[in-house]
Amino acid sequence: MQWTVILKKELTENWRNFKWLWVPIVFILISIMDLISTYYMPIIIESAGGLPDGTVIDIPMPSPSEAMLMSFSQLNMIGILILTVISMGTISGEIKSGVYELILAKPVKYTNYVTGKFFSYWLLMMVSLLLGLLASWYYTNLLFGELALSQMFIAALFYACWLTLVIAIVILYNTWFKSPGLIAFLSIITVIILTVMTNIFGHVLGWSPAKITEYISIYLHTGDLDIEIWFSAIVALLLSLACILFAIVSLRNRAID
Amino acid sequence: MELVSVKDLTKTYSKHNVVDHVSFDLHPGKCVALLGPNGAGKTTTLRMLAGFIQPTSGTISFNEDTLSKDFRKYVGYLPQHPSFYPWISGEEFLHYAGQLAGLTKHEVSDRSEKLLQLVHLTDAGKKRIGKYSGGMKQRLGIAQALIHQPKLIMLDEPVSSLDPIGRREVLNLIRELKKDATVLFSTHILNDAEEVSEEILLMNDGKLIEQGPISEIRGMQQTVTIRLAFEKEPKFIHEKLKEIDSVYQVTEQNGTFDVSVHDLNAARDTIFSRVQEEGWELSLFEITSGTLEDIFMKAVNK
Repeated sequence: MQWTVILKKELTENWRNFKWLWVPIVFILISIMDLISTYYMPIIIESAGGLPDGTVIDIPMPSPSEAMLMSFSQLNMIGILILTVISMGTISGEIKSGVYELILAKPVKYTNYVTGKFFSYWLLMMVSLLLGLLASWYYTNLLFGELALSQMFIAALFYACWLTLVIAIVILYNTWFKSPGLIAFLSIITVIILTVMTNIFGHVLGWSPAKITEYISIYLHTGDLDIEIWFSAIVALLLSLACILFAIVSLRNRAID
Repeated sequence: MELVSVKDLTKTYSKHNVVDHVSFDLHPGKCVALLGPNGAGKTTTLRMLAGFIQPTSGTISFNEDTLSKDFRKYVGYLPQHPSFYPWISGEEFLHYAGQLAGLTKHEVSDRSEKLLQLVHLTDAGKKRIGKYSGGMKQRLGIAQALIHQPKLIMLDEPVSSLDPIGRREVLNLIRELKKDATVLFSTHILNDAEEVSEEILLMNDGKLIEQGPISEIRGMQQTVTIRLAFEKEPKFIHEKLKEIDSVYQVTEQNGTFDVSVHDLNAARDTIFSRVQEEGWELSLFEITSGTLEDIFMKAVNK
């Protein structure tokens, strides 16, 4: 099937340019970075020896759910940045280099081309996210106390909906612009605008995909899944679908020069 | 029966007709050269025929299939500057291209082996394309265009970026190709067109200004020019040439004489008999008129 051929090619490409190696590693590192530095902070300060005798160092240890949230907030910044950068040239780069013309001269369906690419990056994102959060969960349990694995998984799945939308946005911009740098820039700007708008108009934008992180924090603290997190997740997936459909149409109508 | 029939094909970019009401037919087993200066609309025409630019108006129909609009499966296309994924090997790329065109794994490995042989890349097939030279990429480009056994093979300026050896190889390849398929290739090098194609389409400024078999187009020429040069110029050669029947004009430039004649055969006989009789030390005898260059220049400047 044509779709699997395209997906396989994408997976091979990202394997050969080591994305399948470094992206999961970086996701693991950014997930555990804060946990470890927080845990060892008293020792770090002590060994730096900057404080006068008699100073009482009293840094409260975060609860397990707070610890995991630190990972989510790192992923929400650096993770999104990385996802944007690795996928910024997936279509635009092929158009720019000219290999797109060879592909297009074959009876390739635009739908297969766009969704194959989208899915390959989605898989990479899922694997990296799960590995990163698993590492974070491991260190949380080791250093800060117990948190159910199932709770981590459910939080990860909801968070994945938000990252799915990020990838879909990058793919859409890929079909509009030729410069990968511009695509990454606009994608990040879009995510920032979404987040800021959601913060300002939070009371009416309860279903905004950017709210997912906030709901995850509630979920980790209380263990309750609000109806609103479902709304946000569904809206995120619907918007992703819309981006992908729009990307297919844009690519079909795009003139190549 | 024609393979492809193109009617009133037009492509407009920002109100400018890049391709302007072009109509022609392509017949099976023929090699057709699409000629024209840069910017004449050749590439746009080929891209529309390849099926990935939609014409503004006009129709392209394949006799194989009048129903479906997607005729890319019948077409193999090589762009002017083919580029590939540098991380993939030549053989892998052929597999990828073949599978995209709907071939099964088994068919595609069979086919790609044969094609790598045809384009002399058997040894380089396992190497990553990033290490290929320009000529090798061009040949791989031809192989990928042929992978799904298309009825129509289109090559956009296949030789203009190659060195003389690469050019020779590709021209020989084109001769091979027309045994199985119709070949349409664009070029602005007239010699190449003359060498391998039977028919030409001449484009200028988006319009098709001349089309037909080369011999026919050549026959439409009224006069012929013979170009002569001598190792040692005979005395009064200018006058002697002018005295020959059917010669009506002689011009000289740097020791080369362009002799315009009405009747080529008569003039040629006379010149050769003079060469023998008077011992002219002829170093160049060339019939320059009636070449594509002439036709080309006349048509473009019209």
